[in-house]
Amino acid sequence: MTVRMVGMRWLLATALGVITMAIGASAAAAQDELPGVSLGLVYANSYLPALAVQPFTGAFGGDMISPQVEAIVGRDLRNSDRFEVIDSLPDALVGSQVDYALWDRLGAVWLVTGEVEGAGDGYMLILELHDVVYGEVRDRGRFRLPSEDDDDFRMAVHRTSDEIVRWATGDPGMAASRIAFTMLGSDGNKEVYVIDSDGENLEQVTDYNSLTESPTWSPDGSRLALASWKTGVPRIYEVDRFGNELRTLPAVRGAGDYVTPTYHPDGRTLAFTVNGSANQSGIFTYDLEAECCLAFLSGGPWYDISPTYSPDGRWLAFNTLRFGDNVPQVMMMPAEGGSAETLSPYEYGGGGFYAAPDWSPKGDLVAFHGRIDRRGRYHILVANLEDGGRVLRQLTSEGNNEAPSWAPDGRHLVFAGERSWGFGLMVVDVTTGRVRSLLGGRRVDLPDWSPALPPA
Amino acid sequence: MIVRRFFVTVFAATLLVGACGGDPPPPPPPPQPDQDSLRAYNDSVAAAEAARRAEAERLAAERAAEAERQRQIRAARATLEEMVFFDYDMSEIRDDAEATLRAKVDILRASPQVQIRIEGHADDRGSTEYNMALGNRRAEAVRQFLVGFGLAENRFEIVSFGEGRPLEQGATESAWARNRRGQFVITAGANAINPAN
Repeated sequence: MTVRMVGMRWLLATALGVITMAIGASAAAAQDELPGVSLGLVYANSYLPALAVQPFTGAFGGDMISPQVEAIVGRDLRNSDRFEVIDSLPDALVGSQVDYALWDRLGAVWLVTGEVEGAGDGYMLILELHDVVYGEVRDRGRFRLPSEDDDDFRMAVHRTSDEIVRWATGDPGMAASRIAFTMLGSDGNKEVYVIDSDGENLEQVTDYNSLTESPTWSPDGSRLALASWKTGVPRIYEVDRFGNELRTLPAVRGAGDYVTPTYHPDGRTLAFTVNGSANQSGIFTYDLEAECCLAFLSGGPWYDISPTYSPDGRWLAFNTLRFGDNVPQVMMMPAEGGSAETLSPYEYGGGGFYAAPDWSPKGDLVAFHGRIDRRGRYHILVANLEDGGRVLRQLTSEGNNEAPSWAPDGRHLVFAGERSWGFGLMVVDVTTGRVRSLLGGRRVDLPDWSPALPPA
Repeated sequence: MIVRRFFVTVFAATLLVGACGGDPPPPPPPPQPDQDSLRAYNDSVAAAEAARRAEAERLAAERAAEAERQRQIRAARATLEEMVFFDYDMSEIRDDAEATLRAKVDILRASPQVQIRIEGHADDRGSTEYNMALGNRRAEAVRQFLVGFGLAENRFEIVSFGEGRPLEQGATESAWARNRRGQFVITAGANAINPAN
């Protein structure tokens, strides 16, 4: 990862205080008049190759679940936003033999075939990715699936979808992952829930009958850290995916609100915020393995909150109130603390509201949300560190949009959206700008996308 | 009345005793009322009555005073618990909040055992995690205001609920204005609240 600190200093000196939503000609005009920050809804006009899914076949009992497996894989590949997916075709049209000429006529570039065989308690899924243009198998694999009654069944199928993405593109997928988030109950309390990346398996994690906020996944996906008010004051807890409590972070600073935890990529260091403790609010770290060694990184009379690590663990981006209560900004600093640089386009004495940063697992992008249009709406923004953070891309254009979190593929973001029809979790593909609804009609907030989840 | 009944009773008892004997003894001389002791007795009864009346009046006055004191304590408690409100995205103490907090200062000075938890709240616009910080900034601003009047800092703890505990639901200016607030919970000395001197 390259972080061009020089460019960022330049950004601090010259960036816009107020940026207006710029589309098309006005975006170009903004770039002409105000070098430093450009903002737009401009996407690389990416070509998506067509990928066909031939109906999966089954044998030795596998025929009972092959349509279900095919449906999961087809939807995962569509959600990957890397292909135009052609599936659910009638058997009569495509037959059971691979006919490259037929698929070529139908416009497919890739073809996926699958066979599910009964094997002991579970199944064996044999997948092949065909390059239709060259008329050959690009890659193939055999994957064990547990019984369809097993809790890990769908996730095991999702892992095979991610393999297909890797075969075709060389990049990681994100189907085998979950999203943790908070949901407001009718009793006014907020609890943590998780849902699979395809919107299935909504499960309640905490049952504290209290406020619960900021769930965040450990780097191996086995634990969640969160802040709960269940004792009356906010403290940080670690739980497993089923809500079993593993640890309470000791109130090492004494009094204060312990909030906004995040894991270092090493999994043993937790960074978090303590607000209102002995006039020293800010970001601290704690060694979970040694159960000691509190370190103060940044803050003071001002408030630094919502830390997020770069994937190499060397940097932290965070939200700060140091320019004023009403102009929160996104900054970054070395992971051990030190001088911080502004990442959001703030000009001293100017306005601007930017919050909730999340660092991409590829390291090149930092997503956050900002209040940027005249009606005071909040939109998802992405700063590209390779360009010194000068180019902010706006990914949403309607409603209110907050708290983005990166998928393990480094190109999808989940966020909390508010639309005329209500609230929901939404997913946007940073490359194509496509938005899909993950969970609609619920009062949800603070989603955190897990890493790729290994077999249970 | 009481005195006359006494004499009647004594007389009847005397007759009964006389009726039972064989050789009746000579009847005792009829008791002669002692006028002095009777007057003294009557005076003492009147005095007791007066004392009782005075005591009742004293108690009534005391009860009234106590009721007034309790009313003042309730009013003082209500003043201690009166919320303060903030401007959008700000933690500065507004003029109206300053008046509310000054009234609390006088009561807290007169009630040294009272301790308070100051709860900071935000409306639900902006960012949920930012609102946690903003709520804490608001609670801290209130604490520093009170400490600025010489009250001990350790009498106040602060906690932020961010946007998580709204007073009013709804995406309206009036609901948002009600939700941007500081709330006060008496955590110690609730039985030792004294009205301001």
